[in-house]
Amino acid sequence: MAVNLSKGGNVSLSKEAPGLTEVTVGLGWDARVTDGADFDLDASVFILGESGKVLDDNSFIFYNNKVSTDGNVEHLGDNRSGEGAGDDEQVNVKLNALTPAAKKLVFAVTIHEADARKQSFGQVSNAYIRVLNKADGKEIARYDLSEDASTETAMVFGELYRHNDEWKFKAIGQGFAGGLKPLALAHGVSVG
Amino acid sequence: MTTLTPGANAPVTAGQVTVTVAFSPLPGAEIDVSAFVLDAGGKVRGDDDMCFFGQRNVNGGLVRMTEAAAGQVVFALDLAQLDSVVEKVALTATIYENQASFAAVTQLAVTLDCGIEAPIATAGMQETALILGEFYRRQGAWKFRCVAQGFAGGLEPLARHFGVEVAAKAPSPVPVPPPAPAPAPVPVAKPINLNKITLDKSRSSISLEKTGSDFGEIRINLNWNQGNASGGGGLFASFKKSNAIDLDVGCLFELQNGRKGAVQALGKSFGAFDQEPYIQLKGDDRTGAVSDGEWLHINGRHWQKIRRVLVFAFIYRGVPNWSATDGVVTLYVPGQPPIEVRVSEEGGSKGMCAIALLENDNGAVKVSRRVDFFNGHREVDEAYRWGMRWTAGSK
Repeated sequence: MAVNLSKGGNVSLSKEAPGLTEVTVGLGWDARVTDGADFDLDASVFILGESGKVLDDNSFIFYNNKVSTDGNVEHLGDNRSGEGAGDDEQVNVKLNALTPAAKKLVFAVTIHEADARKQSFGQVSNAYIRVLNKADGKEIARYDLSEDASTETAMVFGELYRHNDEWKFKAIGQGFAGGLKPLALAHGVSVG
Repeated sequence: MTTLTPGANAPVTAGQVTVTVAFSPLPGAEIDVSAFVLDAGGKVRGDDDMCFFGQRNVNGGLVRMTEAAAGQVVFALDLAQLDSVVEKVALTATIYENQASFAAVTQLAVTLDCGIEAPIATAGMQETALILGEFYRRQGAWKFRCVAQGFAGGLEPLARHFGVEVAAKAPSPVPVPPPAPAPAPVPVAKPINLNKITLDKSRSSISLEKTGSDFGEIRINLNWNQGNASGGGGLFASFKKSNAIDLDVGCLFELQNGRKGAVQALGKSFGAFDQEPYIQLKGDDRTGAVSDGEWLHINGRHWQKIRRVLVFAFIYRGVPNWSATDGVVTLYVPGQPPIEVRVSEEGGSKGMCAIALLENDNGAVKVSRRVDFFNGHREVDEAYRWGMRWTAGSK
């Protein structure tokens, strides 16, 4: 049974998904049926070191940088309208293969050009982000963006982090003003 | 008071809610506010899931429009009592016939008496139909979300969005060329012509020349918005301000040999196609089951024997409210673009409308828009100097 996260919630991976080695982070939403600009949601991952900053600029995985240097974090592509069933965007993370320097992975979702298009998560139908155990496809955690992040345009969904020798997942559910750029800057990415 | 911006939601704490939709009225463009009761798929289950001006009390009174004034429409919803399959109730506003976009509506707000308000910023909006907000179930409780999204195409895409069957769209007036000084022949001999010719005040008549040896079968259709009748024009057709209306199509004819008469359901004068008067009424449907209205067929092979035909509609049942019927007469002549005449005016309490006159103009079919209103056959007859005698009939 997947855990429906709420702000500040916690999921123990050892309890939810024993033996977890690889996760898929899925982002989904319904294509816009009303008139106006499409809803374009983007999933991003920040691979952070001890300092809480990205290991390097290549540790910011998003639609323009789909694969980390070591290939262990891979963004499977950008769906720009939300059409189609199932997850619209997916990022695979090989947790067991990640460099020991990677202490934490932060998952975020942003609405592309939200300000210009005057969009927020609440205007998108059935927007969610979720973490799956890639081995069996089971959902570990899910966040309903349309419902809980309604007026936000960027959100830190949650973070996977090392705790002793295991990975844990913490639900953050924190809206973030300004979209992807300030989010990247806050995690130490040099954004031009 | 909780104020919602588009996308935001809030719990609805009361089982019974009064919703006020307030807007700045538009001069010359009517704004219709409605409520759609929706299932899990976001669709209506039937006519009874649409609460609007012409149908103010639906779902057994659980969804009611209690006030409809210029600038303010009030609904009373009993959310707690709604059927469990109902997942949403959407509030919408549409600008009648897309005469303006919502950018022109300077003030627009939804207020719930349980302490929620959703002012909608309309600046720059191209939409002519908007989903203002929606009540929805979430984990067993009702919430309200400000949506503020819609459609530039107006009522039709909005209705389709909610699963309302959309009838063949009454065509919007086609741009009409400048009025010809004299009735000009239509470009002929085009095997397929998707253009439609609309006769209106700026162009009130047209002459059709033969494209072959004769005119073939001339078909005349009367279609209208059939009020609350289910089926017929579809749910979409009922989404208008009218009660069920039964329009009958008929015509007065005069043959070259001097014979005069009427072809109409009244008095069961259905006419005949292969013999005089070469005009036949193709069945009268009072159930609304025939979705394309009523048809008169004229045998164009015998057009030379016909002097003139006046196509009329009369309201057999229902209160005369011509502009709400959206009546359209369309004339189909093989090989020619369809010609339509819309009953776009208000006929007061008069129950009969002479819509189009077909005249034999040296062998051509001259079609003229009339749209004149009368109290009955006798008045029409007198006005057009047809010269018949009338007795009351029934069908």
